[in-house]
Amino acid sequence: MRWPRMWKDPSALGLLKGTAVNYLLVERHDDLGPVVDRARQEGFKVTEAASPPAGVTVAEGKWPGVKLSESGAVDTAAAGPTGNPWVDSNGWKVRLTAALHPGTEVWVEATPKEPRLFTESYLTAVADAAAYGGRWIISLDKQLAEGIAGQKTEALETWKKITGAAGFFAARRDWSDYLPQAAMGIISDFSGQNEFLTHETLNLVARTNQQYRIVLKTKVSESSFSSLRAVLYADAEPPALELRKQILAFVQAGGMLITGPKWGELSGVLATDEHPRYTLRTFGKGRLAVAKADLDDPYLVANDSVVLISHRYELLRFWNGGAVGSYFTTAPDRKQAVVHMLFYASVRGGDPSVRVAGQYRTARLWTLDRKAPRSVEMEIQKDAVELHLPPVSQYAAVELEGWSPRGSFGRKE
Amino acid sequence: MDGNCTRREWLLRTAAAAPGAYLVGSSFGRAVTAPTAPVAVAKCKTYEPAELLPTLEKIFDQLGGLGRMVKGKTVAIKLNLTGAPTYRLGYLPLGDTHYANPQVIAATVHLMGKAGARRIRLLESPWSTADPVEEYLLQANWDPHEVLSAAPKVEFENTNYLGRGKKYSRLTVPYGGYIFPAFDLNHSYEDCEVFVSLTKMKEHATAGVTLSMKNCFGITPASIYGAGAGVDEPNESPKGGRSLIHSGYRQPSKSAPAEKDPTSPRDGGYRVPRTVVDLISVRPIDLAIVDGVKTMAGGEGPWCRPPLTAVNPGLLVAGINPVNTDAVCMALMGYDPMADRGTPPFERSDSTLRLAEDVGIGTRDLQRIEVIGTSIKEARFDFAAIRRQRLLSSPANRTS
Repeated sequence: MRWPRMWKDPSALGLLKGTAVNYLLVERHDDLGPVVDRARQEGFKVTEAASPPAGVTVAEGKWPGVKLSESGAVDTAAAGPTGNPWVDSNGWKVRLTAALHPGTEVWVEATPKEPRLFTESYLTAVADAAAYGGRWIISLDKQLAEGIAGQKTEALETWKKITGAAGFFAARRDWSDYLPQAAMGIISDFSGQNEFLTHETLNLVARTNQQYRIVLKTKVSESSFSSLRAVLYADAEPPALELRKQILAFVQAGGMLITGPKWGELSGVLATDEHPRYTLRTFGKGRLAVAKADLDDPYLVANDSVVLISHRYELLRFWNGGAVGSYFTTAPDRKQAVVHMLFYASVRGGDPSVRVAGQYRTARLWTLDRKAPRSVEMEIQKDAVELHLPPVSQYAAVELEGWSPRGSFGRKE
Repeated sequence: MDGNCTRREWLLRTAAAAPGAYLVGSSFGRAVTAPTAPVAVAKCKTYEPAELLPTLEKIFDQLGGLGRMVKGKTVAIKLNLTGAPTYRLGYLPLGDTHYANPQVIAATVHLMGKAGARRIRLLESPWSTADPVEEYLLQANWDPHEVLSAAPKVEFENTNYLGRGKKYSRLTVPYGGYIFPAFDLNHSYEDCEVFVSLTKMKEHATAGVTLSMKNCFGITPASIYGAGAGVDEPNESPKGGRSLIHSGYRQPSKSAPAEKDPTSPRDGGYRVPRTVVDLISVRPIDLAIVDGVKTMAGGEGPWCRPPLTAVNPGLLVAGINPVNTDAVCMALMGYDPMADRGTPPFERSDSTLRLAEDVGIGTRDLQRIEVIGTSIKEARFDFAAIRRQRLLSSPANRTS
């Protein structure tokens, strides 16, 4: 956690007792010396805020949640291109950072911009990083830090919930080892001239709840494409010969390539169906969708890709979820799966439900406010299960067991 | 008008006192001469094909048979898929509450194919998108293949924009129009020989009820009439709903005909029913099918103000004339089809039925409509009683 400057009394370390907070980022100030000394004595790792420890990569994030209007009016949400509320999330950045820096922990730096935030907003900040395997650097707004230091009941209650949420994820570290389930692979180096488009595409694909896999183009292997329906190659330069061969082999075997005109020479033959922005071709058992114009609008790239692949093959489908984010993972042995769900809007109507592709025998719902899981009503459908969730807030995870290799996504890897 | 007297009573009194010549061209004159055609009503408790298919076939036969209507022709069916497919009433499937049920759509398509339709085109202008209708259905958890395979030569088209057409079809309102003199529509509404409105039996927050006529509000492309319509030209990436028509806060794209009188009331209860009548006049409905097997009470979709209730009236209704059909549906719902503004379900809107009757599309007078099959009395499912109960229990009516 980022230690608040105003917590100068070492006794404040008592707030961390029994919590999952084990690292303190402290700004260099002489008057915090006693705190640092005591923290080290009590076994905390302490470092300067400006220099993260070895083995950690810090991702610069945004405060997650529904973005308010530029005016800052709390009752007005900024709209996305479709009129849906715009959501800031760091999930894609956690995943990309982890892919680019394997073997390191990903910490998310997202500090409160508002003078005072609601408890729910903090819980979203914790979950928005942790659900994707990262850790949010707990950073308190000034008013909350003051309230906690002053032992104000409401502030202490918020603190308890924040540390409770951090503890929830710390107790489930094994979930971080679960593998992402994906219908689409996004191939790039995610840097240089490709950075803007690919980063924003990751962000916006996540908003559609399309489950994706990050594929670094320097590290493509046979397993990179396993179980995928499609890959997106939107880089500004054509792929290297070997990568091109690997992608085309995936297409020939039944996959889809979504790419732009810079892909280069086109394989296969023109398909009969039409798309306003893509030329469709068949190649082997698969298809190519080649954009007629340069891929430069990440919103279109993200949304077109979902429809080009087809909602038929989406792994998760939500109803009454509002501004929902999701991450679907399975244990390496595939015996268990976890669907992480982030509900960004603070007010939602209706009863949320989610369809999960595949067949499962049991489902348990975890929420931040309960120590034990709840059972979830599960409706068995063709190739999927539909879960009827109770009213949930900020974050919920469904743990599924008893996966069977049936249905659209029962393809063996 | 005397508050203790319905509009119909007032018209009857006026008519009784007036010379016959006075009726020519008057509202009442059109009411008594407006066309009438039989309406078939059947009970159908479930969407099980074993019950649904023969019931639908029977009501179509009672209307003279589908073959007479569709054989060798291109049939366009406007579906009722209102609102985003990610909204549900509770956990219920959309087809059990506010979307025309996929089984009813598939059964209708199947029977039309069997009756010799040359081509069957399923049309909708789905909420805020130019994506294929099939993709929209998948998000609602429907498999479009089940509909597409119900007969030969079946296809969907999203009519929210230009779609597969080269240009928009400009269709003119024959009587000049209440709100719009003409509309620019997706080609599909012109390029068909038979036009069917297949809808759900529901109440409607703005228009009182939504039946076969109101379903056609959605034939307007959002590219021109939607919240994100282009100012000068259509926006071929349509966005948002049709608030433009509801509230009249702006005009359609300049490429399309503007409304006749921008100083007319900017009230949805005034504008929506009139626009609906304008629309069904440019694209007349040849067959109205109303799915009242399972539906919802309290509004047209789960986004409406609660309380909203899933209900199971167990009814299928079909007719050749949409005004007649909607009039029978209203009676089946426990409402007086002769009701108008101020009387349930038109507390805040004008009656689309009355406005359609006034321009001579069809009568809403039950005494002039032949009901075939199950009688209204036998089949009635009392939405009106649920509405009364709802209003009584609303916070505004509770005493502290």
